Amino acid sequence: MERLINTLRRRLMSVVLVIHAALVPLLYLGVTAIVTDGYAELFVNPARSYSQLAADELERGAPDDFERHAAELLDSVLLTGQVVFAEIIDGNRRIHSSLPSPIAPANPPDDFQFGAHGDEVYYISHTIKRPDRSVVLRLGFDESPTLEQIRAAKRRVLMAVLVFTAASIAVALWLSAIIARPMVRLQEAAKRVSGGDFRVQLTTRSSIREVQELNHHLEHMRQKLVGTNERLEREMQEREVSEAKRLDLERRLLHRERIATIGTLAGGIAHEFNNIMTPILLYSQVALQDAPPGSALATDLTRIVSAAHRARSLVNGILTFSREMDLQQAAVFALRPIIAEALTLLRAIVPANIEITFEADPEDIPVVGDPSLLHQAVINLCTNAYQAMSPSDGRIAVKLSAVRNPPKSQLPPGHYVLLEVNDTGHGMDESVLAHIFDPFFTTRDVGEGTGLGLSIFHGIITSMGGVITVESAVGSGTMVQIYLPAAAGRAEQDILSAGGAA
Amino acid sequence: MECGVLLNMRRALQLFILLCLASQACAASHTLVLVVRADSKVSDLDSLTVRKLFLGLPVLVEGGLLHPVRNRSDAELDPIFLQQIVAMSQSAYDRQILIGVNRQGWLRPAEVSTVSRVLDILYDDPNAVTFMWLHEVAHNPRVRVIRVLWSD
Repeated sequence: MERLINTLRRRLMSVVLVIHAALVPLLYLGVTAIVTDGYAELFVNPARSYSQLAADELERGAPDDFERHAAELLDSVLLTGQVVFAEIIDGNRRIHSSLPSPIAPANPPDDFQFGAHGDEVYYISHTIKRPDRSVVLRLGFDESPTLEQIRAAKRRVLMAVLVFTAASIAVALWLSAIIARPMVRLQEAAKRVSGGDFRVQLTTRSSIREVQELNHHLEHMRQKLVGTNERLEREMQEREVSEAKRLDLERRLLHRERIATIGTLAGGIAHEFNNIMTPILLYSQVALQDAPPGSALATDLTRIVSAAHRARSLVNGILTFSREMDLQQAAVFALRPIIAEALTLLRAIVPANIEITFEADPEDIPVVGDPSLLHQAVINLCTNAYQAMSPSDGRIAVKLSAVRNPPKSQLPPGHYVLLEVNDTGHGMDESVLAHIFDPFFTTRDVGEGTGLGLSIFHGIITSMGGVITVESAVGSGTMVQIYLPAAAGRAEQDILSAGGAA
Repeated sequence: MECGVLLNMRRALQLFILLCLASQACAASHTLVLVVRADSKVSDLDSLTVRKLFLGLPVLVEGGLLHPVRNRSDAELDPIFLQQIVAMSQSAYDRQILIGVNRQGWLRPAEVSTVSRVLDILYDDPNAVTFMWLHEVAHNPRVRVIRVLWSD
């Protein structure tokens, strides 16, 4: 910036100085020449006229007493004060005035220009032809007063020129500052804009129309640039969001397809297995009725019936996951009492050193679905949570709240009920997290778990139109969020459709 | 200081010019004379009449109107003419001529820039009066010197 100021100012000042350096001496010489010529004119004209008058007077004087007439004439011309030398040359004789006068050279040359010969005396000689003789009248006029006047005038001219030059330089400095300042401001603002600070407005005050128009055009360009930049940033953000949504949808679609495939397979097997189990259970019960009570046969049949019941329960769980189990009639119900009852039941089976808390909004928003299945889902989820904890201590926090327009991209806007279950267990890594809803997937030892708990939980929540999100990290516990659509936001047809589909 | 330097320079220049002129004059006769044609009726003219003549005033000699011819064949002639004949500066002389021509109806003196042309006019006009260096007319029988105007 400083460099620009110096450059612009130096350039302007250089131009001014060059112009002055060329023109001021010419101005000074021209003015002094005019002054000198004027003073010379004022000196020469009277001197020539006066000398001519004296010559005429001497030429026309009385012929009889030339000597006396000449002396009187020389006295009279010297008495004027302007003539400092006067003589008449008559052949070889020189006639001078009786008045004292400065000593002059013997034969001073005539001056035809003012100030010639440098003796400060302007000599004029006239050849006078009289009837009886021919003489020369030589007069010397004092040039020094006129020369002093010329010198004084030149000093005044020099002072005026110097004052003019100083004033011109001052005005040039002022003008250069006026011109440079707005340009520097514009340059500074443009530099900030080029550096990425688009909010800087290109505004500067100047009375120069060209600078104003330059400022206007630059500001217009900046505004266009800002608009384009904002639009591009917005488009990039939208593209990033769209890309994230697309990837999430792809991931969810793949997961859903995998679950659906597994569910279809499991449902088919469960159907066939159920068909097989029906005659086993039926005929074993019939045989149990026929067997003598307390006999070894009755005991064996009882074990068969019990095992058949467990097998049917397992089949029902698989059918629930695959949504092919016949659901009960969908109903509108409040979640809080169902969850409270499930937690009370859970309290009985969970060790006492594991804390279970339940927090719910005062507003108990109803949802649509099968309350018994939801009861089972909560039991399954919380059971899975406490099984992930160390037996010594832990905490399961259940929270129920109403949410409007949840910040989940896969959920449409509306009223929802959020059920959060946080545990302080050992958490899961990404590889485990990707398969927790797969049927028969378990991290426990063989024989200790069926791997159907979270699968059934997923099937129940999905059948109610809900969405599950799981966040977990190894050593940091797990947070499961269940969004269930509120019954108030669903039309009656939707409710029936949901019930039929389930 | 600066004024003095410029004045000295100007004086030196003027001195140089005058020295050049003086050298030319030294080569000539250094005497300026008033001349007419040899058979002219003009015998003598005093300084006042000469000044009248070259200021454009009508001057009659024996019924004949004299015709002044300003000789400008030599640069040295001009300052001598202005100082010794009309006794004024060039600008004053120009103003005087303009006043005489425009207000009084006088005739502007003829101006000739070559010696041969001056002599031709003299040869052709018996009433012509001009001034020349003496050495230019000293041995010319067709012209006559009637007055010495200036001599160094």
